[in-house]
Amino acid sequence: MNELEDIKLKALLQSMKLEKPDPGFSAMVMNSIFKESNALEQIKAQRILGKGFWIILALFLLLAVVVYAMGNAGIQPEGKLEQLVPGMENGIQSFTSRIGTIPLSVAGILIASSVLLFIDRFISSNSKLFAH
Amino acid sequence: MEQKDDIYYIEKVLAGQTNYFSYIVERYQDVVFSIALKVLRNRDDAQEMAQESFIKAYKSLSSFKGTAKFSTWLYRITYNNCISELRKRKIHFASTDDVDLKDEAEEVNLDGIPEENRAKAIKEAMDRLPEDEYTLILLYYFEDQSVEEISKVTQLSESNTKVKLFRARKKLYTILNEMMKDELYTIL
Repeated sequence: MNELEDIKLKALLQSMKLEKPDPGFSAMVMNSIFKESNALEQIKAQRILGKGFWIILALFLLLAVVVYAMGNAGIQPEGKLEQLVPGMENGIQSFTSRIGTIPLSVAGILIASSVLLFIDRFISSNSKLFAH
Repeated sequence: MEQKDDIYYIEKVLAGQTNYFSYIVERYQDVVFSIALKVLRNRDDAQEMAQESFIKAYKSLSSFKGTAKFSTWLYRITYNNCISELRKRKIHFASTDDVDLKDEAEEVNLDGIPEENRAKAIKEAMDRLPEDEYTLILLYYFEDQSVEEISKVTQLSESNTKVKLFRARKKLYTILNEMMKDELYTIL
């Protein structure tokens, strides 16, 4: 086939009218896109971590700080806590020693479970995002 | 020019001005719809598939790197969508050879087709091509895409695309020849 024939075929094909979709097609596509866009915006705007998570985390951190402070400095000077609440110092010491005896594997399981629960919650709350 | 325009609209859309995507839809809807219609052979299905292709393109727009033409990227999405839909319906993607290829088919005289009938004749001939060959001819001649770009759309190798394109062109000439002969017989 020579080049001239190819050019003629090209001109002929470009004169061909393509099939057109219905007149409202463009508007229909744009409506769907706007819907999708709004849904994605809503997902983005949603907070991944709820209020409950932050409360629990704050309480946990507070507890950790209290345990640390009492273990190191809080109870040492003149046993003030023992004076305020008799028996409290022994209780805390017993509690911290018990925590210390938890095997590492149990702690690992607890942490892994928490992480899995968090991932599950994250995925289920963003199911639309992961569906695409 | 076309490339620059596409990128301009794409940047606008990526910057959050979603409504600019309508220019892209307007520009490519006919080709996207034609490919879908040829493959799915039903207007409603083709329209749905074309819509899906545009939505998919919109959602993945941030992954468009601009290394290829936007049209190539969009047609690839459309073509893949259509093939996946056919697979879902367990319909074989037709690449039939129901037209006998003859050597003399190369020698069709395009000027022999009356000018007023040319557009109609070529459309009829194109309609008789199987889906894959229709897409190749459409992209190469109508959309002015290179063999390399077409190979990206169809996911065929460049050499395979060239061979298929050659065969498709030959087949188109054969069909046009037959149509011209039929017309001649009708006149006689």
